Amino acid sequence: MNIIVPIKQVPDLVEELEIDSSGTGLDREWLKFKVNEFDDHALEEALLLKEEHGGTVTAIALDGGDIDKALFAAAAKGADRVVKVTGGGDTPSNHEAARMFANAIGGMDYDIVCTGVQSVEDRDGQLGVILARYLNVPQISVVTGVTVAGDKLTVIKEYGGGTVAEFETSMPVVLGIQAAREAPRYVPVAKVRRAMKSTELEEVSGGSADVNTGSHVNKMFKPEVAGGAEMISGSDDDMAARLAEIIKG
Amino acid sequence: MNETREVFRNFPVWMQIAFYVAALGMTAFFIYGFYKKYKKYRKGRDADRFNNVAGRFMKALGMMTTNSTVFKRDIYAGFAHWLIFWGFIVMLIGTAIVMLDHDFIELFFHYRLLQGTFYLWFSLFMDIAGVGFIVGLLMMMFRRAKKPPQLNYERVDLKKEEYDRGAYKKDDKAFIWLLLIIAISGFMIEGLRIMSDGYPEFEVWSPVGWQVAHLMESTGLAAALGASLHMYIWWFHGIIVLIFIGYIPYSKAMHMLLDYANLMFVDDMAAKKLPRVSEEKQKEAMGYVKLEDFTWKELLDFDSCTKCGRCHVVCPANASGAPLSPRDIILDMRTFANSNGGGTAEWFNQSFTKEKGKPGDKKLAIAGDIISAETLWACTSCMACVEACPVGIEHLTTIVNLRRTLVEEGEMEDSLQDALMNIGDYGNSFGKSDRMRAKWTKELDFKIPDARKEEVDYLWFVGDFASYDVRVQELSRKVATILHNAGVSFGILYEGEKNSGNDVRRIGEEGLFEMLVEDNIETLSGANFKEIFTTDPHSFNTLKNEYPEFGGNYIVHHYTGLLLKLIGEGKIKLNNKLQHHATYHDPCYLGRYNGETVAPRELFNVMGVKLTEMPRNKENSFCCGAGGGRIWMDDSKLDKRPSEMRIEEALALDGVNTFIVACPKDYAMYSDAVKTSGNEDKMVVMDMIDLLEEAVLVDTDDASHVSMEIDS
Repeated sequence: MNIIVPIKQVPDLVEELEIDSSGTGLDREWLKFKVNEFDDHALEEALLLKEEHGGTVTAIALDGGDIDKALFAAAAKGADRVVKVTGGGDTPSNHEAARMFANAIGGMDYDIVCTGVQSVEDRDGQLGVILARYLNVPQISVVTGVTVAGDKLTVIKEYGGGTVAEFETSMPVVLGIQAAREAPRYVPVAKVRRAMKSTELEEVSGGSADVNTGSHVNKMFKPEVAGGAEMISGSDDDMAARLAEIIKG
Repeated sequence: MNETREVFRNFPVWMQIAFYVAALGMTAFFIYGFYKKYKKYRKGRDADRFNNVAGRFMKALGMMTTNSTVFKRDIYAGFAHWLIFWGFIVMLIGTAIVMLDHDFIELFFHYRLLQGTFYLWFSLFMDIAGVGFIVGLLMMMFRRAKKPPQLNYERVDLKKEEYDRGAYKKDDKAFIWLLLIIAISGFMIEGLRIMSDGYPEFEVWSPVGWQVAHLMESTGLAAALGASLHMYIWWFHGIIVLIFIGYIPYSKAMHMLLDYANLMFVDDMAAKKLPRVSEEKQKEAMGYVKLEDFTWKELLDFDSCTKCGRCHVVCPANASGAPLSPRDIILDMRTFANSNGGGTAEWFNQSFTKEKGKPGDKKLAIAGDIISAETLWACTSCMACVEACPVGIEHLTTIVNLRRTLVEEGEMEDSLQDALMNIGDYGNSFGKSDRMRAKWTKELDFKIPDARKEEVDYLWFVGDFASYDVRVQELSRKVATILHNAGVSFGILYEGEKNSGNDVRRIGEEGLFEMLVEDNIETLSGANFKEIFTTDPHSFNTLKNEYPEFGGNYIVHHYTGLLLKLIGEGKIKLNNKLQHHATYHDPCYLGRYNGETVAPRELFNVMGVKLTEMPRNKENSFCCGAGGGRIWMDDSKLDKRPSEMRIEEALALDGVNTFIVACPKDYAMYSDAVKTSGNEDKMVVMDMIDLLEEAVLVDTDDASHVSMEIDS
C-alpha cells in the first residue's frame, strides 16, 4: 500500500501575529513556521498503516521556509520518500496548493493520499477536497479511523455533535485526517541528523498553479475586544440572586 | 619445649595427597569462574578508566582497608563489615603463612617460621582475628533478622506471584553460614589439639582455643566422639573451606574480589558528566540495544552489587511508589549479562518472570523488556543511588544509556514529548516564543545589559524556569535588583539563551542536548563576559561539568556562592538580622552533584537565620522529584510525591516554618507541595533570594513586616 502525505507549513502561533501593511495578510517577516498540526496526524496515520500492511509512505511538501527540515523529520519518522514541490509562490491559496500537489502526485503510484483535515491558516478544510477533484478520486474528510479491509478501506468520519459515520471506500482515495490513532511520534534529533545524511530529498516541479478560482481576502483584522467579565462573589444566596438578575436582564 | 604445631598431624600420606588434589581442583574451579567473568567484561565496550592507575589503586586501597564507603551513614553495618573484612584478611594471610612455611620453607630449607615467639604472636593474633570475624558475622545475622528495609528483596515493579527471590536469600544464608562454620570449626580444631596435647603452657597464647578445649572436655563432647575427632573436624573444616573457595566466583562472595576493582575504576564524574555517543555509534543508535553496547565497567558494575540495598532505600522514585529500584536494575542487568554474555551463571541466580521470558532470549529488548520503560522513566536522576553505593556502581549512567534507546524509539509520555519538541523548536520547555525569554525583565526599573552587545563581568545564564515560570520570574527580578543595587556588572543573553540541556541529556535525548550545547556555546562565544552564574543548579551542573567536553570552558558559579562572595566583599550590605527559623533543602544538582553545601549555610549564618537541618541533608538530600525530565511527566500515579514527603520531613522539625530552596524547579515543586499536602499555613516556601531581599532592606519596619514571626 502506497500512501502520499502532503505537508504544509503554517505560521507558528507562539509568536504574536501582526497584520501586514496591505491589511489582507499576516506580516510574514516576523513569522516562524511549523508543520501544520493536522498534517502531523496525517503522517502518523500513514506510518501506522504502513507498519501494519507494508508499502511505502511519501511525504511531499511545497517549497519554502524550513520545509527541508520538516521533510527530513518525516523521513526520520519513517517516510520512505521525501519530495519537495518547487515553483510555487510564498502564500499559495488552497486552490493553488492543491493544483501543484495534484501536478506532482498525478504521476505517482498511490493508494491513499492522507492530508491533514485543515490548517490553522485556512480553517476551511478544502485542500484535500480540491486535490481529490483534480486527481479525480473519492475524498472523505474529518477522518479519525482507517482500517484496511481487503482492497477497500473502512473509514470513520466524525460529524458535529458527536455523531460518527463509517464509510467504505475503494482506493485510490484522499482522506482528510482529523486525528491519528496515536499521538504523532517523537523524532529524536539524532534520527533527523541521520536522515539528513542518508535520505535523498527529491525535487519535482509544481507546474502551473494558475487556477483562476477561489476566494480572496478583502480585509484581515484582529478580533475586536468588547465587554468584560464580572466576578460574582458573596454568599450562595447573594450569588444566586445576582445570577437571576443577569438572566432576567 | 618448642612452641609450634604440626601440620597434618597423625594424617596418613594418602590423606595428605587427597587434600592437595582437592585443593588444586577447587582452586582451578575458582580461577575458571573469574576467567569466565573476565571474558564477559572483555565483550563490553572500552571505558576510559586507565588514567592515573596508581592513584586509582591507592584511593581504592584506602577505601577498601578502612571500609569507609561501608561505614558511611551506617556505622553498625560498617563496623560489622570491618570486623569480617579484617578477620578474613588476617586469617587468609595466616593460612598463607602456614602454607608457605610447610610447603615451601620447611620443604626446601628445612627451617620453620612458625615456632617460638613468632608462633606465639601468630597464634594470639589469629585468635583475635577469628573472634572479631565471628562477632562481625553475628552482628550481620542479627541485623538481617531485624529485617531492615534495605534488605527487603521485594520487587517494586512486579506482583509477588510474578517472581521468586528465594535464590538470593539462599545465597545470603550460604555465604554467612559457610564463613561462620569455617571460623567455629577452626577454633574447634585448635581446642582439640590443645586438649590432646595435655594443655601445654604456651598454648595460653591461643586463648580462644584454650577455652574451647576446656569447654569440649568439661561437656564430655570430645570424649564422647572419640580420639579421631580432631581428624574429623579437620576434614570437615578443610572441605568447607574448599567449597567456599569454589563458591566465591559464583555467588555474592565474588564481591570480595570484584568490588575492589570496581572502586578502583570508578569515575568520580559519573552521572555528573554523562558519556557522549561516538560518531561511529551515532550512525546506528544512540542508546544501548545489545550486551556489547555496555562498557566493561558497566558489566563489572552489574557483578559488583552485593544487594546491600542502600540505593534502594534512598531512591525517591522507589519511595514514592514508582516501579523503580536502582538495585533491581543492576541485578536484572546482571542476569541478562550472564545469560547473554557467556558469564558464569551464578549458583544462586535470579530468574526473570514468566512474562519476560527466558533471560537468554535475544528477542527481549533491554530497554523495554528486561528493564521496563516505566521503570526507566521513573528515575529523577537525583544521583542518590550513585552517591550511596559503597562499591562504586554507576546506576544513573546505565539508566540514561537505556533511556536513549527509548527516546530513539519515541517511547515516552506525550507530555514529555511535548516538552522536548518545545525545547527543540523554541529553546524552552514552556513552548513560548524564544523572543519572550527576557520578558520578565520588562517590569524592572532598569535594563539588564545584553551581554552579546556590552561587556559585563558576570553573565547570568537564567534558565527556563527562572525566565518563563511566573512564580520564579518574581525571584529572578529580585536577583536582578539586588545585583543591580550592589553595582555588579552583569548581563543576560536575552533570546540568545536556550535551555542548557542538563535535563534533556538525562532524559536521554542526546541529539537535542548536543544541539542545545552547540547553540549555547555559539551564543556564549559571541558574548563578552568574565564568569558565568546561574540560579539553576541543573544549568550549573551541565555548564560546569559537561560543556567543557564540547569546547565551552567557563568559570561557573551558583548564585548562592556569588551572593556570599559579594556580601564578603561588602558590595551587598546586610541591614537586618533576620528572625526566621528555617530548614534548607539542598538541591540535588548543587549539593550531591557538585558538593556545594557550604555557601548556602554560610549565607544563613551571615543573615542571622536559624537553621535546623532535616535528617537528610547535604549530599544525602532527598530529591523533590522534578529532575531527569520528571517535571514534564505525569506524577499522579505515584503513591506520594517526593516533594510532599520532603515537606513532611521539614514539618517534623521543631519550630521550623520556613522551607528555603535555592533552585527554580524546587521553588515550583515545593510551592505546589505545601498546597497539595494542605500545609500552606504551617510551612512557607522561600527562595534564598527572598531572604536576602529582607536582609538588605533599609527600612527595618518593612523588614519586620515581611519576615515571619517564629521562635517565640
